[in-house]
Amino acid sequence: MLYGLLLFPMGMAFVVWLVGRSNQRARNLLAALTTVAEFGLTVWIALAPDLSAGIDGVAGLGIHLETDGFRRVYLVVIAFLWMMTTLLGNEYFSHYKTCNRYYFFNLMTLGATIGVFVSADLFTALIFFEIMSFTSYPWVIQEEMEAAIRAANTYLAVAVIGGLAALMGLFLLWHTLGTTTISALYDAAKTVDNKAVLYVAGGCVLFGFGAKAGMFPLHIWLPKAHPVAPAPASALLSGLLTKSGVFGVLVLTCRVFYADPAWGTVILVLGTVTMVLGALLALFSIDLKRTLACSSVSQIGFILVGIGMMGLLGESGALAARGTLLHMLNHSLFKLVLFMAAGVVYQNLHALDLNDIRGFGRKKPLLLLPFLFGALGIGGFPLFNGYVSKTLLHESIVEGVAHLAAHGGNAFGLRAVEWLFLLSGGITVAYMTKLFVALFIERHPTRQAEFDQKRPYMNGVSTFALVASALVLPALGLSADWTMNGIADIGTGFMRAGALAHPVQYLAWSNLKGGLLSIAIGFALYFGIVRTVLMQKQNGAAVYVNRWPKRLDLEELLYRPLLTKWLPGILGSIAALFGENRITGLLAKGVLRGGMGIAALFGKNRITAPLAKGALRGGMIAAHGLSDLLDAWILLLRKTVYRDCRPEPENTAMKSLPYRFGSLLDRIAIRHGREEQGGRRFAETAYRTRRTLRTTSRQITGNLSFALLMLVLAICAVFVYTLFMR
Amino acid sequence: MHPLLLLFLILIPFVSGIAIYLLRLKTHAALSCAAMGVTVLTSALCWIALLRGTEGTFEVIRFAPNLVLLLRLDGLGRFFVGIVSTLWPLTILYAHSYMAHEKHLRMFYGFFTAAYGATLGVALAGNLFTMYCFYELLTLTTVPLVIQPMTKEAIRAARTYFLFSIGGAAFAFAAMMFLIANGASEPFTMGGVLDAHPYGNDNVTYLFWLFGFLGFGVKAAIFPLHYWLPKASVAPTPVTALLHAVAVVKAGAFAVIRLTYYCYGTAVMAGTWAQTVALLLAAFTIVYGSSVSVKETHFKRRLAYSTVANLSYILFGAMLMTPAGLAAALLHMAAHACIKILSFFCAGAVLHRTGRTSIFALDGLGRRMPVTFGGFTLSAFALMGLPPFSGFVSKWYLLRAAAETGGIAYVGAGALLLSALLTAIYMLSPVRRAWFPDRDADLVSLESVHEADSAMLVPMALLAAGTLLCGVFAGPILSAAQAIASGL
Repeated sequence: MLYGLLLFPMGMAFVVWLVGRSNQRARNLLAALTTVAEFGLTVWIALAPDLSAGIDGVAGLGIHLETDGFRRVYLVVIAFLWMMTTLLGNEYFSHYKTCNRYYFFNLMTLGATIGVFVSADLFTALIFFEIMSFTSYPWVIQEEMEAAIRAANTYLAVAVIGGLAALMGLFLLWHTLGTTTISALYDAAKTVDNKAVLYVAGGCVLFGFGAKAGMFPLHIWLPKAHPVAPAPASALLSGLLTKSGVFGVLVLTCRVFYADPAWGTVILVLGTVTMVLGALLALFSIDLKRTLACSSVSQIGFILVGIGMMGLLGESGALAARGTLLHMLNHSLFKLVLFMAAGVVYQNLHALDLNDIRGFGRKKPLLLLPFLFGALGIGGFPLFNGYVSKTLLHESIVEGVAHLAAHGGNAFGLRAVEWLFLLSGGITVAYMTKLFVALFIERHPTRQAEFDQKRPYMNGVSTFALVASALVLPALGLSADWTMNGIADIGTGFMRAGALAHPVQYLAWSNLKGGLLSIAIGFALYFGIVRTVLMQKQNGAAVYVNRWPKRLDLEELLYRPLLTKWLPGILGSIAALFGENRITGLLAKGVLRGGMGIAALFGKNRITAPLAKGALRGGMIAAHGLSDLLDAWILLLRKTVYRDCRPEPENTAMKSLPYRFGSLLDRIAIRHGREEQGGRRFAETAYRTRRTLRTTSRQITGNLSFALLMLVLAICAVFVYTLFMR
Repeated sequence: MHPLLLLFLILIPFVSGIAIYLLRLKTHAALSCAAMGVTVLTSALCWIALLRGTEGTFEVIRFAPNLVLLLRLDGLGRFFVGIVSTLWPLTILYAHSYMAHEKHLRMFYGFFTAAYGATLGVALAGNLFTMYCFYELLTLTTVPLVIQPMTKEAIRAARTYFLFSIGGAAFAFAAMMFLIANGASEPFTMGGVLDAHPYGNDNVTYLFWLFGFLGFGVKAAIFPLHYWLPKASVAPTPVTALLHAVAVVKAGAFAVIRLTYYCYGTAVMAGTWAQTVALLLAAFTIVYGSSVSVKETHFKRRLAYSTVANLSYILFGAMLMTPAGLAAALLHMAAHACIKILSFFCAGAVLHRTGRTSIFALDGLGRRMPVTFGGFTLSAFALMGLPPFSGFVSKWYLLRAAAETGGIAYVGAGALLLSALLTAIYMLSPVRRAWFPDRDADLVSLESVHEADSAMLVPMALLAAGTLLCGVFAGPILSAAQAIASGL
């Protein structure tokens, strides 16, 4: 059953690719049907009891799969997102030439992503993680523009380096704990005394999975790769592929480092930085999809803050666990809606710059409503799903502060995290307002009439995909008490969190306070900063400008030089040092320098200085003499033993044995009546052959290597003698 | 089966190879068919011997009481014969199409077949003396293959190859004589044939072992004796693919394993300074080969430097001198054989179709030669050690063996990981160029390029399938390697 879940989309990828070579419509239909069937399959598996399956010995350590509450929830989310984006892709890709490739890799990645989430051990997870990284690479490079190639290279580099780091970490984990099975990690890690190795291993795995999640400082690929990919792919990259990274971080935090405050603090700090930095980047960006991508970084930061709190609070981290799970789920859902809406904009205008697309959404309620829902959801407005998960995360921080205060700790750091959390929530509201105002309220200075007349701007299937995905957000938010709580009940068993102390009243004033504060900060930021600092009057109209300094790019500042200049430079110079036989040269130089140094040491003493100089000179002469000696020896040999012979006179050749034999043959031939062809042929051939042989043998014997060969033969003879004839 | 079969396994290809050279067959078809026939026959006999097994040893000739030419098929030999006998017919098939318009074909087919016999000789040798003889014979039969294009560069490369091999053999000779002089001339025995302290001074033993390691290591391209290998990539692709990625170079690694595990014995050698030197040299070669490979822009030479690094993976695993290390080394030997021959075939197909040798000239070729570059992409993933391909499994076990040994082996583990990153860089950059060309690349001139023909594609497809299967179903190969390492 579980294999079917993986292999069905992967197998269909080939079928779809083959069909797509001849018939595009059939291909689109088949791909859509595949994802719909996959969705049905995951729903079925989600309703069924927990499953597990495995094959030992495959790929070295075996493949093991299982489902539990958390995975069942996520399987449905994955298949849902895939289904919706594939439906949207039907129209989105209708102008593309090379989209057959996209469909193939789309289905392959579906299988791999599901594989990551159903894997029962980290090793299997890593296999599917790597497959997923590589099959999603063609998504990023799909457009094959300059920016896409550059972004795809970054993506690939992060995937490869991250994968290797994760592999190394996994190896260390396996070496220390003796297992990578997720359900056995907790018990194995409990018994380890020396935590240092475990931290190194965990750090490596965190590097690999964190890179995929977009965690600071490895988030660099995300704001570049997501905007250049086609919109359906961006939705999946943002909504799901990042979550596979989060999945790895979750396994580490909840199993290997369960209730480990040090680990929790590290994740919390990284999460906070990611959260604030992503939000700031999104606020400054003036590109629709780039804003959404940076927003993904920020939202992953929120999730990581939740995971960090789980690490800090341990068993009493139920709020954090529920918040983390629900925010993962919610973020997947809003990014689906928002990126699909961005896709609709792009397929009409082929532009994403806010100044070019402003006003496009006016008078298009079917675009406005989904985008508004997405924005309200991600902004954490009450009655929408994002509010629920953000409230839970916020409450968990508050709980952490109380926990620390109760134990007499200094809660200043956590209080700072709380304020940054609310601030990031505010920035989220600000940049979503910026996008919304630009798209749906402002007018385009020149093309507004053209925008208003664009009908139909999307076909029925796309409308369905967009609206249906968007309706999920308020539906979940309104029924939070039973849908979202129910999902949290099913899913948090994975995180080893205890039961909730008391049910959360989402709409109680104490909880609403935080959310409303964020929203207030958001509007203040929008009117205070976005409308003033981030806009500029040009030719009488206000335009958006990107005030983010170009030089502040971690990739250009650090990673690219490190990988393309410094590392190859260092290794290359090592290689060059050894590669061209410079060792001997260096050695000789070193000896010479050393000699000079010694001479200089003695230089002040009148008696020793000439001695030292003399010794050095003597040494140099000896060295020269030695190297000349070989030449001299060869010269001597050639003049004496291997003296070049003079050419033989012709008449001696006439008397030689082969010549006589040849003459005899000739005579026989003549006697048999072949004289008309001109005789003496055998004799001449024989003579020539003999001369060639002589010349060759002279050349060989006059050679140094012959001497060496003789030497070797002599040594052999000595050996044989000493061995047998002694 | 009677062990006499072993002699036939060696003689059939060797004698027929010489015969092919001397018979003056004129056409390419005749030459290639003759070579193909002999190779397939030999491979079939090899597999019969592998499956049915042979009993006992076969004494060919006894020169002196302790100098015997002895043939025997044991576990390690079986492993090597298995690799070689599978890959040789595939390469001949590839050559049938690749060499069609080349010159000096008699030389190529004749010596290519004869080299098969010599390689099998190395694999089937029952004692060090026999192995040494066939090892030298392998050098002699492969020199004409390097020289085959008859260009100045090729002649120079062949000279370098010859000098390095002969020089190395002299050192190996010393190691062998040390063994014989100390009364250890028995057939190969797992665990070694040497007493614990054969010579008053142990350091002399270690020194002679190191001589042997370096001497046989020449063919396994251990730094600093690797110069010949990248130079020899001027030879035609079937030669570089089979001999310089599998047969010759792996015969070097094989000989080192024989010398260490079956002659001197790991009990004597493990934990000595000589082992440390060997491990460090291997670790250095791994990083060195990979980093030069990153800088190299000639397609085939880049693969050749990658071979230098990968051979040292094998040597590193073997030099850990633990059963786990040997098993991992053997696993990597099989995995790398499949992967590297596949990537060389792809590079050769490009060379054959377009004449392009530079990495920078590969832009956009993936669309024109999809099967070729599909195979290359697969080999790149496998060589990087991406799960679930074969390279991953072997590297995993190498790391595992290194971690079990600990101490100095961690240096090698670090080298392995750094090398994995470098491998990703040097293998993925051609892949990226082929499939996703730069914007300013010249794609118009590619219009006339076509996919390689089926005689070249079939071996590539089979090898690609092999690479995939070796990774996914690594179990049987792994258990075979572990059985050998535990002394069966």
